[in-house]
Amino acid sequence: MLKALVSSALAGLLGLDTVQAGQFLLSRPALIGPLLGWLNGFPLEGARLGAIIELLYMDFIPVGGVVPPNGAVAAAAAVLAHAAGGLAPSLAFFIGLAAGSLFSPVEYRLRAARSSWGRKLDAQVMAGDLGLGRWVTFSLASEAVVTAAFVMCCTAAAGLLAAVPGVARLYPGTDFAYSLMPWLGLSGLYFRFRTQIYKKG
Amino acid sequence: MFGSMFVRSFFMQAGWNYERFQNLGFAFTLRPALERIYPDREKLKAALLRHLQLVNTQPYMASFVAGNVARMEEKAAASADQEAALKSLPGVKQALASSFASIGDRIFWGRLKPMTTQICLLVWAAGGFSGWLFTGMDSKAGMPLLLAGPLTGIVFYSAFAVYWRWRGLKTGYACGGTAACGLDSVNWTRMIRRLSAAGFAMSLAISLLALGMLLALSGISCAPGGIAMRAGAVLGVLVLHRVCRATGRSVFFAAAALLFASLLLFSVFDFRPFELYI
Repeated sequence: MLKALVSSALAGLLGLDTVQAGQFLLSRPALIGPLLGWLNGFPLEGARLGAIIELLYMDFIPVGGVVPPNGAVAAAAAVLAHAAGGLAPSLAFFIGLAAGSLFSPVEYRLRAARSSWGRKLDAQVMAGDLGLGRWVTFSLASEAVVTAAFVMCCTAAAGLLAAVPGVARLYPGTDFAYSLMPWLGLSGLYFRFRTQIYKKG
Repeated sequence: MFGSMFVRSFFMQAGWNYERFQNLGFAFTLRPALERIYPDREKLKAALLRHLQLVNTQPYMASFVAGNVARMEEKAAASADQEAALKSLPGVKQALASSFASIGDRIFWGRLKPMTTQICLLVWAAGGFSGWLFTGMDSKAGMPLLLAGPLTGIVFYSAFAVYWRWRGLKTGYACGGTAACGLDSVNWTRMIRRLSAAGFAMSLAISLLALGMLLALSGISCAPGGIAMRAGAVLGVLVLHRVCRATGRSVFFAAAALLFASLLLFSVFDFRPFELYI
């Protein structure tokens, strides 16, 4: 439980790198996977889940106001669904994919909620208070807390799913589909650059 | 001033919202320059309000815009008719933001980001870890190797990103005030083309490596019929992905279709003609 909490908090902090701060790519699934896997005693499975999620998430580009599925949340949820939730890696992988997609509407609401800040900032500066730092801090803190809470909820949901009788019956199907995912990701990676070459820039 | 702006530029997207996009991050980045340009608090207030309005560009390339705007504000502050000097600022800022967004998206999101994944996979392959490709296979890899893959990619990417943030500030400030400021400082088209070529070469290498490993491992572990079935399954995935791309569906649609079909065949109907793992 404590490990899951610490891992969710770490996912929340690293998730800030996706949009809000730095953007050094520290929120990449390929890093979050082995890191959280190591924290929870499954570094190899974490690396595997992270790498495959990263390959599939390569299809989405965060241009303009688009909110793509969140790879950091997907990797964290997948690793914790396996390590803390007790699901097989193959089912945990698909739980992670779903979690990354489900986080998009949450992220959209966070961004929409911040839309009212513009008028508040104007009023604050007009009143002579020129401090912007606390808005930046609040933005980072709220994003990290919401991300961590979401990952924790996904872990709890995975734990509940693992307790459902007969869930193991799904594993032959999820195992086979999971075994094909790296190839789906590789296909995406190959054709992304092939298309660029044909477009000549 | 540059140092402080540079550090603050890492928070360019903090507070991103649908009404004014990066306004908070942009004003936050610009504030050290504005404080130096306008010692008078009322003028500083007016300048901050100007830059709390709508702005949206690519976060790394935003430095070009911020440097340019800082220089324009400096020129306006020194001008006798400040209002006239600031008249062109919103137009120039918007033009640069759009142009650099387009360039930055193509360089960073479209090319460099996927290249970090390729670097990660190549580092893992060089270290002998292929567990990401064969999900059911036992493989051994130490934590240093598992972290070396993604971290090498991150260092490569961040070196680019940090360099362009810094250079953007300097270049933007040096040519501030012109609508083409910084756009002609580099042959962007050539850079984009070279990155595409490098990315394609790495994609090709990784794909060939993966197919080679699949055939080698299948040859060791199963009969010729099994090899054909495994290769056929991989080919089927590639075809499915192409069909999804051609019909405008995301990779998630393909993943969901594969999951649904697998659950139906292997979990519902207990159909197991060959080893589950590829």
